[in-house]
Amino acid sequence: MADPVPSQAAVPADSGVSSSDMLFFYQRLLPFRQIFQWLNHSPKPSKDFTMREFAYEYRTGAYQRYNSFSNLEEFKKSVVQANPTRFEVGAVYSVNPKERKRLPKQALKPLAKELVFDIDLTDYDEIRTCCSGTDICKKCWRFIQVAIKILDAALREDFGFNRLIWVFSGRRGAHCWVSDARARCLDETTRKSIVEYLDVLGSRLNRQGKNLLSLKRPFHPHVERSFDLLKNEFVDIILKEQDPWNTSSSEPSDKSWEQVETLLSYVPEKPLQEELRRKWKLQTSVSTSMSKWEDITVIAKKILKHQNQVNALNEAKKDIILFYMYPRLDIEVSKQLIHLLKSPFCVHPSTGNICVPFDPHHNLSNNEEDDDYGFNPTNAPNLRQLQNEIEVWDVRRVNRDSSQPLEDGESEADKRISEYEKTSLKPYVEYFQKFVNNLLKDELKDSGKRGRDDDTLEF
Amino acid sequence: MFRQVKRRTAGRRNFEGTYTPRNDLPNHRLSFYDVPPTEEITLEQFESWAIDRLKILIEIESCMARGRSFRETETAVRPLLQKLLPLGTWPVNNNSQIDELKKDYYSHFILRLVFCRTEDLRRKFVRNETVLFKIRYNAMQPKEQHQFITNHHDKLPWNYIDSDEKLALFDQLFAATGATVKSALAAESDGQITTDQLRAHFRNENFIKVPFEKITSLVATRLVLLKLGYGYVPSTLQLSLLALEFQELLQRDLLRTFQSIPRLEEDDRLLPLLNHLGQNFASMEYDPAFSADPSLVSDINAASVTTPAITNHYPLCAKHLQTNMIASSHLRHEGRQQLSLFLKGIGLSVDEALKFWSHSFTSGPHAMTPERFNKEFKYNIRHTYGLEGARTNYKPWDCARILLRPLPGKNEYHGCPYRDLSVDALTTQLGEMGVGAVDMKGVLNDVERKDYTVACTRVFEITHNVQAEHIGHPNLYFDRSRQLERAKTETA
Repeated sequence: MADPVPSQAAVPADSGVSSSDMLFFYQRLLPFRQIFQWLNHSPKPSKDFTMREFAYEYRTGAYQRYNSFSNLEEFKKSVVQANPTRFEVGAVYSVNPKERKRLPKQALKPLAKELVFDIDLTDYDEIRTCCSGTDICKKCWRFIQVAIKILDAALREDFGFNRLIWVFSGRRGAHCWVSDARARCLDETTRKSIVEYLDVLGSRLNRQGKNLLSLKRPFHPHVERSFDLLKNEFVDIILKEQDPWNTSSSEPSDKSWEQVETLLSYVPEKPLQEELRRKWKLQTSVSTSMSKWEDITVIAKKILKHQNQVNALNEAKKDIILFYMYPRLDIEVSKQLIHLLKSPFCVHPSTGNICVPFDPHHNLSNNEEDDDYGFNPTNAPNLRQLQNEIEVWDVRRVNRDSSQPLEDGESEADKRISEYEKTSLKPYVEYFQKFVNNLLKDELKDSGKRGRDDDTLEF
Repeated sequence: MFRQVKRRTAGRRNFEGTYTPRNDLPNHRLSFYDVPPTEEITLEQFESWAIDRLKILIEIESCMARGRSFRETETAVRPLLQKLLPLGTWPVNNNSQIDELKKDYYSHFILRLVFCRTEDLRRKFVRNETVLFKIRYNAMQPKEQHQFITNHHDKLPWNYIDSDEKLALFDQLFAATGATVKSALAAESDGQITTDQLRAHFRNENFIKVPFEKITSLVATRLVLLKLGYGYVPSTLQLSLLALEFQELLQRDLLRTFQSIPRLEEDDRLLPLLNHLGQNFASMEYDPAFSADPSLVSDINAASVTTPAITNHYPLCAKHLQTNMIASSHLRHEGRQQLSLFLKGIGLSVDEALKFWSHSFTSGPHAMTPERFNKEFKYNIRHTYGLEGARTNYKPWDCARILLRPLPGKNEYHGCPYRDLSVDALTTQLGEMGVGAVDMKGVLNDVERKDYTVACTRVFEITHNVQAEHIGHPNLYFDRSRQLERAKTETA
């Protein structure tokens, strides 16, 4: 890969996140210890950490792979020194990645990595109406929320994984890291099979003109469970909020009509299709997605004669719901063992948002408005905001110090406060810490078991 | 540790002669080939048995390269098996049949010696032998299949679920595997199966519970129920599990054979034979020579590859990629990979390649700046030539590889046009290449049968007015086409 370009002249990036902002973040805020524990799986540095690949992306666009560190201090020191725009986490190798040049090429074999998933709203561009490209809002984030529900259920119930965490990707998506020991040592074929299992919409989406899902009936239990999750939200998310088939404005966009055609392509029975198309083309006043959805049932009652046809229509409706809401996955990321993914708690270089781990079921921020909503990406901790919070906190302390001198003990306690605790990053770091602690407990149990097994083998 | 030591001594005893060869060795028509044969055979037998088996493996390989499905491969290979490696009927009962089984057993082990030498050969051998194993298992009666599984209980630690668990999961099991079991039943009984019959069958069906890592293909296709990390496999789907077991054992054993080959290398009777057999297999593959004929390569450069004098020799896939790249001043990653390796294969040097790509990306209506090209794409091109990163000298993709890659999405042009283009688009393109209406039908028929490389070969024959061997590599298409042209100019 390209050679590193260590000179970090203070060239302001297009983003507004300057290299000095980043340096500040790495020196004072990024929870290195927690990340170290998460990847290390034990209190003392283990191979899981020391043979792990990290990659740096620099302001210049240069990308430096195969960094590895022997302990937490070296990890932090190196990141601070290199001051990359972000760093990514790769696989654990059979040898130390940074020593690869001294070793024969075959020696560098990837052994393990968390199973990862990446959902990105850009993959929803064909169906979302509120935003496109890199923009997101609270409406389209709901796609990510249902996607998370579905994947979370499948990973836990079907595959039996427990230690998984969702991380905001900083702009318009979310990553999932599955850290169970069993998940980490999956080979690529198995990873691929998991992805294909989850990728219900499949590559059919890519092939033009073939939208039909051809899912077998009865649905596989995973598809059935996903459908049950989706059907409850379909009315809110698709019919009310996204309203993709709305053609009521005086000059409806081509995209709405395209969407209407997509909708019609799912409708079985040509006469029914024709009738619906005719009705909708003629409608000049209000024609929302909700009314169109109801039209299908109403007109079907007039046109369809046989129970078979009605059943087919009902099945088609299920397909439509799945097509419009089932998670769209970036499958390449999950398949490859050596694929790198941005570490949790990095800063998104263009938005300044922190890639915080979040709880899909529960709002962690102090913003009460989001309690009903869950994680709200538009309110995610942002580097600027964190800097202000630290400033405010420090000023407050200075004021307090000067007004009423503190007891020694208290100021000691004060000093032990980590910088992140002064900011809105705090609940996210604590959430992550809890996740890591549970993971460490598992590992300890496993290694205990392993140790005993070894003993019995010895004698 | 302890276990390993034990196994090693067990193995050693083998060679010290205290081991008595299993008398029942070739007593089953299907085998994991887990005990090497120890009797003597003649050199002629050694060679002719190996060649017969090789012919079958070659047929399997070529079916796979043409993207045939397992069923189609099965139909193609069965008659050949009957001729070259028949196994008689079950149960095994006469001496001539024992000889057939012996031939099967020995030829397998001889070919292990041939194919254990490189990673590539090992992978191919394992793949083809596994297909053969599956074909044979499918040909057996359920009773014989069942016996095979009971005989190998040590290797197949299948956990049958108890009736309580089955009852609790009944509906989910039915939803996940009902259709598969139904079609298997229908195939067996040659008739329609009603839902009630199917439910009744399900009550007696024996499900096994396996960690999902062991059944990746069933997981990927959502053919079984998954619960907390275990897949529930009905008896009809247990073949793929068997095949996997077979594959893993063979992989492991081949590596062991490879490690012990040095001890055999001293034998000058067998070595030439083995080498000869290995070449037979390798020659089926086209290896685009990087040392291509210099007189043919000299005129390949950044400017000439866009001229008809060169592009007329392109197969449709390369033409499709290059045309669309020039039209849009861009090509997505997969396409870039496919085209740039093809160009490398026809002899475009890295310097010329950089010129060609940078010119194509930085001119035209959607052009990018040269800076952006240098920053984002130069590395990629140099990488394909083995000048960056892992410095692997990548080979141009063959058709099998191209057909295995992900399908092209919107604004992507990689893959095989015979598979990926709509019939209309394909007809237009082929028309431009000079395929007439009569021939077109034949080509489209091949496409419909999913014989994409056959379609491509047919187009080659039509446009060059010759009989051609099967073409399984875009660069082979190009090279043959240029050779023909040169032969023509020379005679003229």
